[in-house]
Amino acid sequence: MTDSITLDSTDTHGHSDHDDHAHPTEKQYWIVFVILAVITAVEIAWSYMGLEGPALVVPLIIMMVVKFLMIAGVFMHLSFDSKMPNGRTFYLCFGAAMVLAILVFLVVLAAFEFQI
Amino acid sequence: MTAIPVEDAVEVADDHGSDHHDDGHHTSLGLSNMKLAMWLFLGSECLLFGALISTYLLSKARFLTEVLAGNPEVLGTLPANLIEEFQAEGSVEPLFDIPFTSASSFILLMSSVTMVFAHQAISKNDQRNTRLWLATTAALGSVFIAGQVYEFTTFYNEGLRFDGNLLGSALYTLTGFHGVHVTVGIIMLLSLLVLAFRGKLNQDRAETLELVGLYWHFVDVVWVLIFTIVYLIP
Amino acid sequence: MAVIEEPLALPSGTTKARRPLGAFSRPRNATGLVDWLTTVDHKKIGIMYGMAAMFFFIIGGVAALLIRLQLAAPNSTILSADTYNRVFTMHGTIMVFLVVMPIGAAFANYLLPLQIGARDVAFPRINAFSFWVFLAGGLMLNSSWFLGGGANGGWFNYAPNNGAAFSPSTGIDFWNLGLFIAGIGSLSGAVNLITTVLNMRAPGMTLMRMPVFVWMTLVTQFLLLFAIPVLTAAQLLLLLDRQFGANFFNVTQGADPLLWQHLFWIFGHPEVYLMILPAFGIVSEVIPTFSRKPIFGYPFMVFSGIAIGFMGWGVWAHHMFVSGIGPLSVTAFSVATMFIAVPTGVKILNWLATMWGGKLILNTAMLFSIGLVTQFTIGGLSGVTHAVAPSDTQQTDTYYIVAHFHYVLFGGALFGFFAGLYFWWPKIFGYKLNEKIGKWNFWGMVLGFNLTFGPMHILGLQGMARRMQTYDVSMGFNLWNLVSTIGSFILGVTTLLLFVNAWKSYSEWKAAGRPNVGADPWDARTIEWSIQSPAPEHNFDVTPTVSDLDDFWHQKYAEDDEGKLRQVATGDELAQPGNGEGVHLPAPSYWPIVLAFSLPIVGYGLIYSLWFCIPGTLLTIISIYGWALEPADDLDIDDHGHGPDQEMEPAV
Repeated sequence: MTDSITLDSTDTHGHSDHDDHAHPTEKQYWIVFVILAVITAVEIAWSYMGLEGPALVVPLIIMMVVKFLMIAGVFMHLSFDSKMPNGRTFYLCFGAAMVLAILVFLVVLAAFEFQI
Repeated sequence: MTAIPVEDAVEVADDHGSDHHDDGHHTSLGLSNMKLAMWLFLGSECLLFGALISTYLLSKARFLTEVLAGNPEVLGTLPANLIEEFQAEGSVEPLFDIPFTSASSFILLMSSVTMVFAHQAISKNDQRNTRLWLATTAALGSVFIAGQVYEFTTFYNEGLRFDGNLLGSALYTLTGFHGVHVTVGIIMLLSLLVLAFRGKLNQDRAETLELVGLYWHFVDVVWVLIFTIVYLIP
Repeated sequence: MAVIEEPLALPSGTTKARRPLGAFSRPRNATGLVDWLTTVDHKKIGIMYGMAAMFFFIIGGVAALLIRLQLAAPNSTILSADTYNRVFTMHGTIMVFLVVMPIGAAFANYLLPLQIGARDVAFPRINAFSFWVFLAGGLMLNSSWFLGGGANGGWFNYAPNNGAAFSPSTGIDFWNLGLFIAGIGSLSGAVNLITTVLNMRAPGMTLMRMPVFVWMTLVTQFLLLFAIPVLTAAQLLLLLDRQFGANFFNVTQGADPLLWQHLFWIFGHPEVYLMILPAFGIVSEVIPTFSRKPIFGYPFMVFSGIAIGFMGWGVWAHHMFVSGIGPLSVTAFSVATMFIAVPTGVKILNWLATMWGGKLILNTAMLFSIGLVTQFTIGGLSGVTHAVAPSDTQQTDTYYIVAHFHYVLFGGALFGFFAGLYFWWPKIFGYKLNEKIGKWNFWGMVLGFNLTFGPMHILGLQGMARRMQTYDVSMGFNLWNLVSTIGSFILGVTTLLLFVNAWKSYSEWKAAGRPNVGADPWDARTIEWSIQSPAPEHNFDVTPTVSDLDDFWHQKYAEDDEGKLRQVATGDELAQPGNGEGVHLPAPSYWPIVLAFSLPIVGYGLIYSLWFCIPGTLLTIISIYGWALEPADDLDIDDHGHGPDQEMEPAV
């Protein structure tokens, strides 16, 4: 990995994280947006289906997670930045926080369930 | 905690004695300091929103329990028609206007795309489109905030008070706190827009715009969570 | 929160004509007080962190002595019950948030860039901001002494007692807002220091070549980064409850006050690790140096620190065993708590193994380090007894707990910090501290410390509740309380010997004509000893290139043909001369301190009158824009193409 970024201080600016050719095109952004919009529409429709319990909640959660991943991955460039050298640091830092938050607060909510 | 790739530091010939350490290419990981810092900050925001979302879930559950049990202290804080609807449904869903909130969620989602286009424009040094997309993003964000103000007014008129009961406290706090984040984002976008119109937002500052973008998308992503957890799941 | 500096990614050499954005000038060539108020030098900021912490240490120490004075004899009336509540609450709060945490930050600030071979931290102005905002929060918290009395709900301020109904005085508001503001500083500091460690290492300084102190600080900052927001959220809820009539902890509305306990301890348990880990890092530097051996099991040292950081998130409810969280939660958290003793034990073992067979040099720094190892182990063992839930049920809220956490925090963290002070003092100030006074300092503190807190184990098991204002003769607590009080005064006086020592060593050094202590007075191991003492403003003349763990030591010592270790050079021969010519340092700035002190104005406004918030908020906004639009370091020597280089971030 050391070799893959031979850093040359006389080089023009921004070559490590402005690798725009690695980023998606305008068209791809629109596609992602349309997918997000469709998922949102399905979510809303699903909430009106009159379902209850897990049949209602589980698909909603799954769709929420998919939306989350798409925004973080595409709009926030995580899935592209992570391909550059050491770029995984970004999503490892953020992902650690996210996983930690989910686990800790699920335990909190569970603890209230088991309270005496 | 171990979220750090244990890899060799980039060997950088950085002894020309300047304080250039903050340039992306002089750093050990070859990443920009600013962007790393932004991601770390967003990481800590996850915990903040995590705490507030769990507070909301807990408070709503406790509130419903009391309403269904007919606790007079709680029932006294709500108008009779809301109580009846809550008790009939066994949830707080009757309070929400899902089509309206869906529309404002859609607008916030839309603003993420326009933000991405602003970044693309500045990467190509396309000043006109940078300004256009920045303005559009700020405008969409403002529409979202306007929608939230309208929504809060509606809740208030329906009889839900911030200092009345648990539901009011938790709902206004969570969504309001998110609204504050959006507002801060709008202020940053407008500041960038002013810079752009003064001709100070050139390609070298693409990263500044990208950072504001990261913040903006994060706020959007939090709304994705809030929309599902608060509005759609009863 | 963060106010981020954005450097332009322009390569040096490129020139680009650019006009400054703002009309604000940066202070240049500032001297004296202005220099300190506007500095962005990590070393000066580190020193200020240390001095502020010592100032608060004295306040907290006086509070501690007042508590012991009140408890010296039965039925004492030196402090009223109400005053007593405020004094012990403020003692705990000050010691945790305004003493132990900032001393850790002081060492981190001073040493981190030096140990990784950097010129400064990643964001120098944010670094200054972190310090000033901590100070602003700390002063605001302490201003409550004069404005109706300090907080009185215990340092963890449980709900619903912390609500306006049960605690109508403003003490808890000061607690809430003061710590809220100080928390902003911790958070921005964490972002800054993590970025620094990950991104600013000298060439060759791989993660696994970083000194243990850097590693422990990195873990600490991650803990801060993720723990502080949880406290902030809890404090936001409390703020809304107290100031705006929200119902988060209002039991009559069906609220569950255990929410506060959960949120507080999700923050609070990582908090105890982030207080002790910097001290662990410090002794991991001191012990190898004075055992003349490399640290035993470096990777284990690193990974046990990381493991502590991780597991620290899974044990918070062991503070809540008697709160009614139910048998399932109690069991789960009890098991998790027992596991966390393992990585801590690994560390103790590694320190012992480092000393084993070494040529020990028992100077003051080393003695304090050994003090940490022994005293912390006692505290760690009593800690394991808390993990056993049935036993903990007996111990909860007794003096046994008080004894336990003083053994880990005073005998652990503070002894470690004292070791660090004696060790790095010559690097920071250019002269060594007097060894003779140092030994008095150490042995006096060990004696006083054990006399103070040792008897508390017995008192606790006898059933003396913590936070009791007084006790009756018939309870049988007289003897050990008296011993404890005598011990506390020995501890207080001998702790002050540090200041006596600093003053005396300085005057002797001055009288002797300020002789040069040398770059490497201890024959030490890490690269901060390869620059002159005191550390020059620009740190390194030339960025070092690192090829080993303990790189500096490997430059000094090498194996000869027979495989015997020989000294090939002395530290002073290798040291960089301290010539800062051509080095370009970030310019100082007014805005960090202005921004930091604008926040308490908002805080006072929230307590007294919302009208106050308006000027406070305006000043905050002005400072953020002033900061963002501040001209580049040096327009006159703009040879690096640095333009106006800042953009602001939301001020949460």
